[in-house]
Amino acid sequence: MKHILIIEDEILIQQSLKKLFERKGFIVDVSASGKIAIDLILNNQYDRIICDLMLQDISGFDVIEESKRKFSPEELSHKFVIMTAYNSPQVLSRANAYKCRLLNKPFEDLEEAMRIMTE
Amino acid sequence: MENTFYPSNQEASEQVKIFVDHQILDEFDTLDTSGFCLVSENEAKVSVLKRGNRLWVNFPDGEHCDFPFYYKNLTTILEGMKSDIKVRSLMGEAFDGFIKSTQGIEKKVFSQVSLNPGENVKDLWDEIIKKVNLISSESHSLRSLLEKLLDVPFLQKFESSLIVLHLKGQTKAELLGIIWRIEKTQSLIEVKDFNIFFNSIKKSKIKSFSSEAFSRLNLPFNGSFLAKEVMSKKYSMVAIVSRHDFLNYSKEEIELFETCIDLLQPHFERLIEQEFSDKRISELRVCLKDFPLPLRIRDTVTGASFMNDLYTGELQEKDIFFNKKVQGPFTIDLYDSDELRHYAFDLFHFQRISLLGELLNTLRHELSNPLFGLKLGSQLFSMMEVPVDSKELMAEIEKNINRCQLIIENFSNLYQVQTELRPVSIKKIIDEAIVLSKSESREVRKNVQYLNETENELLNVPLIFVVQIIFNLIVNASQAMRGQQENQRLDIIIEKEGSFLQIGIHDNGPGISGDQVTQLFKPFFTTKPQGTGLGLLLSRNLAIKMGGNLEYLVNNTEKGAHFRLTLPLS
Repeated sequence: MKHILIIEDEILIQQSLKKLFERKGFIVDVSASGKIAIDLILNNQYDRIICDLMLQDISGFDVIEESKRKFSPEELSHKFVIMTAYNSPQVLSRANAYKCRLLNKPFEDLEEAMRIMTE
Repeated sequence: MENTFYPSNQEASEQVKIFVDHQILDEFDTLDTSGFCLVSENEAKVSVLKRGNRLWVNFPDGEHCDFPFYYKNLTTILEGMKSDIKVRSLMGEAFDGFIKSTQGIEKKVFSQVSLNPGENVKDLWDEIIKKVNLISSESHSLRSLLEKLLDVPFLQKFESSLIVLHLKGQTKAELLGIIWRIEKTQSLIEVKDFNIFFNSIKKSKIKSFSSEAFSRLNLPFNGSFLAKEVMSKKYSMVAIVSRHDFLNYSKEEIELFETCIDLLQPHFERLIEQEFSDKRISELRVCLKDFPLPLRIRDTVTGASFMNDLYTGELQEKDIFFNKKVQGPFTIDLYDSDELRHYAFDLFHFQRISLLGELLNTLRHELSNPLFGLKLGSQLFSMMEVPVDSKELMAEIEKNINRCQLIIENFSNLYQVQTELRPVSIKKIIDEAIVLSKSESREVRKNVQYLNETENELLNVPLIFVVQIIFNLIVNASQAMRGQQENQRLDIIIEKEGSFLQIGIHDNGPGISGDQVTQLFKPFFTTKPQGTGLGLLLSRNLAIKMGGNLEYLVNNTEKGAHFRLTLPLS
């Protein structure tokens, strides 16, 4: 696994994560916009997509929905890792419906979070 | 429809093999079963059983249909069977015989309930009026009135007596009364449905209706009923009686019923008013019980007044509401002694508090993302090849970020309603309260002592309640010691006392003077220019709610103020 896309509109988080992944040898693309992210997903081959839920333009769930055009449900659940600061029951049940991994922000343990995002 | 069991070419003499429960046969003693071949349950193609209040018809294919069952509505059941294609096709011509056999019963029922015109009408009238007067003096609730209504001579064959009542201004109408002469029933009805019902009753000339026509009301019986509407300034009501059958009511019955309700109207009015008043008083009690301020509500019409436990003025008035009705409108008084009158009822204060809660939630969401970014950034830096002193600086930054996150978390927890209780250690509570009060108590040296290893004692209480109380006490103590030249010192001593945990909070400030001690837990008592005078009162109320207490310990030998919070151990 080499190629990662990070969708996050908080630039400090986005850039820090990018650097952290690059230090581990990944190739990282970033997007602060959900719409641009969709284009990137459709035109590139990402091994992992780390997606924040609260974006400025559209929601992370919209990005996942759009990605259905390219990926099967199994691929979706494998490729996407959802990051969120709002783990309300609604968010949890929707994330569960996609069978995606879910990470709460802020991370309790950075190393553990990195492991979950890349395994 | 194809008839599996009785093809049309078969002889009618080949009767349906049917099993009828002996209970049914006993009750319908005039039942003509000649159209059927009564057999034992094992041989029967169709079995008719009584289950509770339902009549069950079981078919050979394992299916069944059921109907409400009771003596006087056999006609209903049979009408139901007739309209049920399945029953009809299964029972074929034999069914018609079954129907015919019920006509005798119908006659029997009718003769029991119908008046013979001209016969003893006057006697009956006298008896009805006598009975109505008796009912009204004996009834102390709406339900007992409805129950006794069925004792009126011509209503003695009726099964149900109900009212549908709408008090003006209420969002729901209420159906209440008795069915089957003994069973209580009560349900709520949408006002819109009630209005349709009320108007249909009002416009109708015959005053005899069928429950099916008002399916939206979910009347608790099937069949036809008599109804009469009553309207007054405060409520609209429909009185209903039913025999639970589908027979029409005679002209005399309708007239008698209408007269009866007319006669009873003042008594309905009295009881409705009484129950309405009781209900409002109990609602007022609930509202006032947990209200944190001394409050009195006074009915401007009847003069009845009601106050909560905190209200200490003019105690003798407490009894007044017992003898009076509550009608409203109300006036709301704050504890109105001269001393406290100048504290206006500060609604804004409560609005500010709830706004603060919302604000904290927003702050939490808005701050936690950038803080998380800062944290990731600093973690990234500390992984890089940088000089040692920069690394130390980064570690310090990260520590501060963590503290910010903790503070935000703790503050927003304070405003969350905790639904489930988890045992929480006293140490966690104390630590959290100290973190939260850090800015107020910066100059105070804090000494926390857990006597006899009480550190890990668990409390089964809402964390935030206890944190709030201890936070309050620490802040109060710190403010009292502020500006003091000598060492500002706060001792928090935790010890076990039986099945309780005692948390002593001692400061070495100026203490509380004797006459202030008695005022300490009174609302609006404060020595601070910006104080609300509610902190200690709310803290004590919280402690009591959790099964504990908060006391001030009067101590002449030591300097400073001593509070003791007692909480039950889990």
